[in-house]
Amino acid sequence: MILEPGILALILLSLITSGTILYALRHIVPILYAWDLKSGSEGQLQLERRTYLLSTLLTWAFVAELTSLLLLVYTAENLHERFTGAMCAAGVFNLNAFGYPALLLKLGNFLLAGCWLVLNRADNSARDYPLIRGKYLFLLVLTVPLLAEGVVLGLYLLNLQPDVITSCCGSLFGSRAVGLGSELAVWPMRPLGLVLLLAYVLNLGSGSFVLRKGRGSYLFALSGLLVLFLGISAILSFVAPYFYELPSHHCPFCLLKADYGYVGYLLCGGLLVGATAAAAVGVLQPFATRPSLRQIIPALQRRAVWLGLTLFTLCFLVATLRIITTDFTLFG
Amino acid sequence: MIRLVEVRKIFNAGRPNAHAALDGVTLTIRRSAVTVLKGPSGSGKTTLLSLIGCMARPTSGRIHLHGLDTDWLAPGEESLEITSLPERFLTGIRRRAFGFVFQQFHLVRGLSALDNVMLPALPTGASRAAIAARGMALLERFRVAGRAGNLVEHLSGGEAQRVAIARALINDPAVIIADEPTAHLDSRLSAEFMEIIATLRSEGRTVVIASHDPLVYAAPGVDAVVVVRDGRIGESGSGRTP
Repeated sequence: MILEPGILALILLSLITSGTILYALRHIVPILYAWDLKSGSEGQLQLERRTYLLSTLLTWAFVAELTSLLLLVYTAENLHERFTGAMCAAGVFNLNAFGYPALLLKLGNFLLAGCWLVLNRADNSARDYPLIRGKYLFLLVLTVPLLAEGVVLGLYLLNLQPDVITSCCGSLFGSRAVGLGSELAVWPMRPLGLVLLLAYVLNLGSGSFVLRKGRGSYLFALSGLLVLFLGISAILSFVAPYFYELPSHHCPFCLLKADYGYVGYLLCGGLLVGATAAAAVGVLQPFATRPSLRQIIPALQRRAVWLGLTLFTLCFLVATLRIITTDFTLFG
Repeated sequence: MIRLVEVRKIFNAGRPNAHAALDGVTLTIRRSAVTVLKGPSGSGKTTLLSLIGCMARPTSGRIHLHGLDTDWLAPGEESLEITSLPERFLTGIRRRAFGFVFQQFHLVRGLSALDNVMLPALPTGASRAAIAARGMALLERFRVAGRAGNLVEHLSGGEAQRVAIARALINDPAVIIADEPTAHLDSRLSAEFMEIIATLRSEGRTVVIASHDPLVYAAPGVDAVVVVRDGRIGESGSGRTP
């Protein structure tokens, strides 16, 4: 293990998040089984008070979970100079077998935790705990990937060996490399760009429909997730080479460097937060007809739609502007 | 109407010094009426008032508010169960549905009478000028407008009492809760207080008073007297409403 502030902070945050979830597990089982709002029993009133505490603790644990993704990527980028062969965060994540699984788990948990926070917000906005069982059942499901992330991230960070020679991003995301990243990197530019544009237009259209008519939430959520997947693929395939002005360099992590204006944080962060907002719109939809949520959920959905559309549009504008304004071209 | 169902309040629950301040109280308080909770010190009157006024939570039992003409109820919503509500909702309900008159008045020293009256309305977001106008109107109504700019520590007992009532009314609450309001007043001021209460009742407000003062529970205009003893409801009767 390397004693680095970023690493210590990540381990601490992971312990806090996992500990909070384990603490919550102890208390949500009685809530799931014994909750009865019609009852005025002592037990029910205690459960109601306990849920205020749990909801607050879990909110902060999940906010820590979301921000720790940024810290993980930043720390990995910051550490690359310590390891032979690493040119950016890509090589640091490749230092042992747990690096990329930890990153993927963190990305997935970002989406899930973001959706839980929105669900919790909706529940807390109504007086009659309309989503109490739903949100804690969702939390039970979330427990597995969140605890898995804690374990895998711990294994990754505790097993960072300074004497290990790692691969640079050129070989990890090159055409001859093996793995999901390298496979996405060689996706053909024109069809991928076209499909991404279609997904974005679909997202824009369904988002406008949600804003005007209050319908189309599921389509907006699905198209948002599609934009995320295709957007990341596009970054690997052709957006990153346009920023580097190098046709063979597809690494998404070098975009996090100051040399490129930290544009990677904007592109990847914008896509991820936008997709989380879009997914949350779909997650809220099944509960939109509950009497106490009839006004709360549409309002939350409208805000999430605006957030998603704004971030996706910003990412598209930044990437397109670069492609248009640079002298470099991949169109032969 | 305020309906309490099997309400219990135990202080220090689970400890050797556990004390049941209220034990299985079931009670209905009529709307637009004056109800007096009568009982000796330590009988549970103040605890009961604090539960009704959302200042404390019961250990068990439920409290329902019915038919209150306030804009914090959603359209079509007729009643609200308050014991299950988290604090973020209780704050708003406490501020807008209830007006409180305390035994010692609890006016904030160092502030003028008008500032004291305005205090509960400041977090509502209304403009300061509008709140001040409402506050002055209330002080005029209770004949203390001439003392609006005076610090409250310089007010007489009767003036302080009327400023406290004005403060309770600043957010136009449907329910007035008064805890031993005449404990520090002479007979004339107590009678004056009950006259004010009668006018509040005639405006359609629900008034709940905890008191063991005969000048209160035997006053004309009292609709119901509820006897509280050892945390339980004893015999209840009608007041002397003409």
